Amino acid sequence: MAAFEYRQAEAVRNAFARRGVRYLFLGKSGAILLGFPDTTQDADLFVQRSRENGRALVAALRELGFDLTDNQAAEIEQGKDFVQLKNGPFDLDLIFAPDGIERFEEAWERRLEVEGFPVCHIDDIIASKAATNRVKDREALPRLRAFREYWRLKQESQASE
Amino acid sequence: MNQWEGIPRDWLEEFEAAARRPLELRMRYAFLRTYKPVLDDASFRAFETTADYRRWCEENLPSWLGYGSV
Repeated sequence: MAAFEYRQAEAVRNAFARRGVRYLFLGKSGAILLGFPDTTQDADLFVQRSRENGRALVAALRELGFDLTDNQAAEIEQGKDFVQLKNGPFDLDLIFAPDGIERFEEAWERRLEVEGFPVCHIDDIIASKAATNRVKDREALPRLRAFREYWRLKQESQASE
Repeated sequence: MNQWEGIPRDWLEEFEAAARRPLELRMRYAFLRTYKPVLDDASFRAFETTADYRRWCEENLPSWLGYGSV
């Protein structure tokens, strides 16, 4: 399996848009879209939990080439909190209930768009990483927080120009 | 006053360099693929709750992968 690439992110964006899937890039993959220079292995998607969105998501995943059995599709449609997909052209983590973010709608209101990619706000990405309390996330937090400060100052500077 | 003074110099240089790169190039540098034992050994996993997923990681993944709790 090759690493996740820009053209695959575009394929996700386009397939999800065609099917009307409501989702946000989250985690380090989201931070990378915002400009954070770091490395990661997977793309994490925070997906709105609803039957309609679940059905649209399954249709989009199958269009992208994910080989889902009917049982697996049902688990996704149901919106299990965390789904790991390694049965397609690239790996995806689907997260319906991330740590540190209360509701999808709130994150959606705060979202940022980068070249048409919907991305969680950097504050939500950090809140989620902080809430997981995992070793790898704890190690990433100081640099992510420094990036948030850089990103915020850049935004202010661009707004005043 | 330098507005960047709270940010370590080496990190600031990396942030500035990344900001000059197009997204496609940033992604090429950012996404890597290496085999992760256990984690990569199933093509599909679904967890009822995020807590279940965290517990599974604690109990099944090698600690050096970093998925365990602090």
